Amino acid sequence: MLSPYRIIDLTDERGVLAGQMLADLGADVIQVEPPTGSTGRGIAPFFADHPGESIYWAAYTRGKRGITCDLSAPRGRDLLLRLLETADFLIESSDIGVMAELGLDYEALHERFPKLIYTSISAFGQTGPKAHYVGSDLAIWAAGTPLLMSGDDDRAPVRISQPQAWGHASGDAAGGSMLALHARHQSGRGQHVDISAQVSAAQATLAQVLAHQLGAADPERYGGGVKIRGQAIRGTADVADGYIVLLMGPGPAVGHFANHAVKWLVDIGAAEPELLDEDFVTYADRAATGKADPALFPRIQDIMRDAVATRTKQQMLDISIEYDLLLAPVLDIVDLGNSPQLGHRSFWQELEHTDGRRVTYPGPPLNILVDGEQQGICRRPPPELGQHNAEVYTELGLSSVDIDRLRSEGTI
Amino acid sequence: MTLPDGVGPLAGVKILDLSWIVAGPTVGRAMADYGATVIRVESPARVDTARVVGPFHGEEPGVENSGLYGNVNAGKWGLTLDLRVPGGQDIFRRLAVWADIVCESFTAGVLARWQLDYSHLRELKPELIMLSSTLLGQNGPYNQVSGFGSQGAGMAGIQDLAGWPDRAPAGPFGPYTDYPAPRFALTALLAALDHRYRTGEGVFIDQAQAEGSMQLLAPALIDYKNGGPALERRGNDDPQMCPHGVYPCFLPDGREESWVALAVATDEQWSRLADLLGADGSLSFEQRRQRQPEIDAALSGWTSSRLAAAVEETLQAAGVSAHRLSTTEDAANDPQLAHRNHFRRLPHSLHGETVVEGPRYILSDTPIQPARPAPQYGEHNVLILKDVLGLSEAEIGELAASGALS
Repeated sequence: MLSPYRIIDLTDERGVLAGQMLADLGADVIQVEPPTGSTGRGIAPFFADHPGESIYWAAYTRGKRGITCDLSAPRGRDLLLRLLETADFLIESSDIGVMAELGLDYEALHERFPKLIYTSISAFGQTGPKAHYVGSDLAIWAAGTPLLMSGDDDRAPVRISQPQAWGHASGDAAGGSMLALHARHQSGRGQHVDISAQVSAAQATLAQVLAHQLGAADPERYGGGVKIRGQAIRGTADVADGYIVLLMGPGPAVGHFANHAVKWLVDIGAAEPELLDEDFVTYADRAATGKADPALFPRIQDIMRDAVATRTKQQMLDISIEYDLLLAPVLDIVDLGNSPQLGHRSFWQELEHTDGRRVTYPGPPLNILVDGEQQGICRRPPPELGQHNAEVYTELGLSSVDIDRLRSEGTI
Repeated sequence: MTLPDGVGPLAGVKILDLSWIVAGPTVGRAMADYGATVIRVESPARVDTARVVGPFHGEEPGVENSGLYGNVNAGKWGLTLDLRVPGGQDIFRRLAVWADIVCESFTAGVLARWQLDYSHLRELKPELIMLSSTLLGQNGPYNQVSGFGSQGAGMAGIQDLAGWPDRAPAGPFGPYTDYPAPRFALTALLAALDHRYRTGEGVFIDQAQAEGSMQLLAPALIDYKNGGPALERRGNDDPQMCPHGVYPCFLPDGREESWVALAVATDEQWSRLADLLGADGSLSFEQRRQRQPEIDAALSGWTSSRLAAAVEETLQAAGVSAHRLSTTEDAANDPQLAHRNHFRRLPHSLHGETVVEGPRYILSDTPIQPARPAPQYGEHNVLILKDVLGLSEAEIGELAASGALS
């Protein structure tokens, strides 16, 4: 869908997903690295059979072409400017001020390339009192508020073990870039898209980031659930081989799921058939006014916990589908790797790396039909350092002599 | 006849938003912010879960009081429509023909039973763009799994990966798959719209919200699928940063719990932190890793006698990544979020005023303000039926009598 558009991707590990999202939608994305390689090539994990090769970098450069260009040298900057003549988007994630030092900041480039959409990804934003703060996944998650809400109540708050914050920011960078493209359709002008990872992280709070301003109490961390005004709500339950996410509650939004759960408990003989007469959609209101037994629902929750404890994750998933329950297994990485659902949807894609290895990747995030036709899956493996130098620079009109000279002087 | 156009890059784009709770509505919210006309359709029979979870205005639960519903639906027009009755289905078809984009998040197959799925709507409008967003996707053995992003978090591997290695998973906060999914959907819908301007072709997008979240686990998934170890939860440890964690501080009022997050990525950062601690600044990453319990204890001792805000400022001044674990009050008072005008106050007919988050992108040339707060239940029924579909008052009356609207 985005095949008419070219993206010059100057990001490092902090923004590398953004360009990939556009590449997966068909754009020509050219990852530009310094001749020594991006710092992203040093981010863990590394391939078990190739310990020098970053899986992180491979994961988010799949689908792109890759070139090198030394932006610290005038010749390299000239080369980038030539490249930008052909580009619609530039995406960057460098420390605040670095692009300005190079004369490659938005203001400088907008004058020369008024149609260029220039997207910047940073921890806190391009300007403001914290713009120069040193960012990190953990600090961003703290500043956006989700970190304080996550974890066991008797230990320090805890993050997700695969860092997430820059991924959220990169996702917003892709969306913001596309909004700027539509603005360009209207105005003919490019503009600066300024993404703050702190703001992106705030989205991971279910709008609780607004709690104080609405006059509500903050949710507090509680393992497998949440505490609201000191009241703990469990969101998970133990099963025979691990855990499930289990939400059971009365009320108009979820009460019918509780009714379904009662049906299952009656069917397996764990609960008395008379309970089928109870309607948990309306139960809470009746319990509050003395027309239903307030001890009934907690008792059913206990029965449910006992019933699931002796079954496996897989059994509970099957039961959940059969009875339409509000529960799901807590899958680990091994489970995902062997998931029949992901297998059925051809989620895993094998790509042949330049050295001939076949490597399995998660496929693009969406399954898209254009005019009824299934879209091709992006088959380009992650580029090796400078892999497309000759190809891209030749497209720009450089001769092989020019390219050899750039190479020998270290510009590429 | 139509609703008044919005202002911004998407002015004139028409969206029929049947999605619910968070993952889908967040997409429509972003497009409404930038000028699209978004009609949010709700079932009169089953209340949107977002309306019954907080944060509530003044801690008062109620379907018109939810800050969550308000945050993901600001700027939209509201219609209640019962798709189970023929009159409701007819209105839906007519609105789908009006729309450029239809977003929905029913369990796979539900719309097909009413002949309202993409294959049927495409016959009415070949250039339609449609997003169908579910936890696990439209096909596959588990496509009937329904539920919230909390179930999604379980099935996307995120729930298992947040917590301590010696304990059950603590999980992330809330329905995690609702957070990454809208980013992928929004980007693709805007690409589809661009594609249609050029080609006239329609687009169907099948989103599995879990697969969106799994993009943010891609390194761990690739590692395991290619002979490496399966990542397990590891508290706040990081394979390449040490020290790296959350350390206790005091609140200004002397209450105990307050925390600061700290991440040391380089030897140079360690040496500057060590100066503050009076520790050995020459330790390499491996040496710091070996002495992590000792370093963590020293750090906790140092932070424990300080305020989180002061630790944050001292460490950042020394070039070390740190931030207090902000409460939502801290966020309300955060000068950086204020600088970005992140919290937007909107006049509200029931609450006087409400507050929503601003867009997550600052566009230098096209700044925005949400045009109006989220619709109240069925707030714009008459307006939409009259101005968009041209129904007479008598026809609207008949429709209401048939039960299609309530």
